[in-house]
Amino acid sequence: MQGLPSLIVMVVRLPLSYKKQDEKEDNKNDKPLANLLVVDDDSDIAHVLKQGLLKNRFLVTAFTHPEEALKNFQSNSKDYCLMLSDIRMPGMSGIRLARKVKEINPNVKVVLMTAFEINDNEFSKVFPSTQVDGFVQKPIGIKNLTDKILDTIGETKRRLNE
Amino acid sequence: MISRSVESSDFESIMDWFKEGIEDGENGILVYPNLQTFRQIYTQYVKDHLIAREEEKEEEEQKEKGNDDDSNDFSDNNNNRRKGQLLQMPRIILIATFYDTVNAVKHNLSAVGVDVQSHIDHGSLLIVDAFDGYYPNTDGMKKLVATLSERARKEGRIGVSVISNMGFFFLYDVDGAASELISYEASLSSKTYGGNIKGFSCYHARDYDNLFDSQKNDLLTQGQKKSLEITESATDVPFDT
Repeated sequence: MQGLPSLIVMVVRLPLSYKKQDEKEDNKNDKPLANLLVVDDDSDIAHVLKQGLLKNRFLVTAFTHPEEALKNFQSNSKDYCLMLSDIRMPGMSGIRLARKVKEINPNVKVVLMTAFEINDNEFSKVFPSTQVDGFVQKPIGIKNLTDKILDTIGETKRRLNE
Repeated sequence: MISRSVESSDFESIMDWFKEGIEDGENGILVYPNLQTFRQIYTQYVKDHLIAREEEKEEEEQKEKGNDDDSNDFSDNNNNRRKGQLLQMPRIILIATFYDTVNAVKHNLSAVGVDVQSHIDHGSLLIVDAFDGYYPNTDGMKKLVATLSERARKEGRIGVSVISNMGFFFLYDVDGAASELISYEASLSSKTYGGNIKGFSCYHARDYDNLFDSQKNDLLTQGQKKSLEITESATDVPFDT
């Protein structure tokens, strides 16, 4: 061991603002893009949509019964930015739900989705009595759906970020 | 009105009503509690008519071969009628789906062993989107059924069964839809003598419950139509809505 120094000095540089910077980052990432109401009578689809959109930084409340979704919306209409709803649902179709949602809060965006071929006739009957902001053909990947939602809420999102 | 109510767990009674409760030339109303039950019904119906019938026919032919000497022993009218039916071409089954896509119905049928494509190719099975049948007006469905009825006669088939999901009429507006629906149901007579069509108008309970009692009564054309209301069994596991 002769000739070797008896003392080893280690210098570790720690950023002073390490924690604070990181917290700031986390806060920024945690900020939801928008609050969504998701309605699909197929519980599997409702679950997958909810999980996928949550991972993409949306706040999501999902329902399989449109009547319950409407009840929730009536109490929290100002909290929601967009409703994503299936069209063909027993009890209350997505078209009727969209109409009621728009009556309560016309500022909320509505995107309807369907597993059926999107038929112009099907929707021409809806317009102009129901203002729908977009349509989505199922199945759709979460990334494409996220893009579609972001496109639809563009203005609202900017307003949220101001 | 011959209205019956049965729990979804009593599947045998449900299928009996489907097979025997509604005769050729009659239109009946079915109210189902959830899509799972409805899927079970139409898959079983197709199985019974297209698969089981083929098997029975084969058995009957085997018996015929083995009992040539006793061929005059068929004195029972029911047996003769059954035998006669077996010798006929099978029914044409039309499924007008609304809450399931056409592909989903095909998938459900395949899952219970129905060779869907073969029956479609042989003209015994037709699956359509109810929307296309009822929109822009209900004449589309009526014309389709009339064409199938005519084809069944020409091909010597037993008849036509129409299993139609009525969800289309609840798509837009309940108030407006009810009058359209009632007039459509009224146009389907409860009984046509000599007719070869068995019609089943199938309603999801949550759609049906949107109607007022007076509208439900009108739907049953002032009590002349047979109806079966299936209620959810306590043992049902919620599968969907």
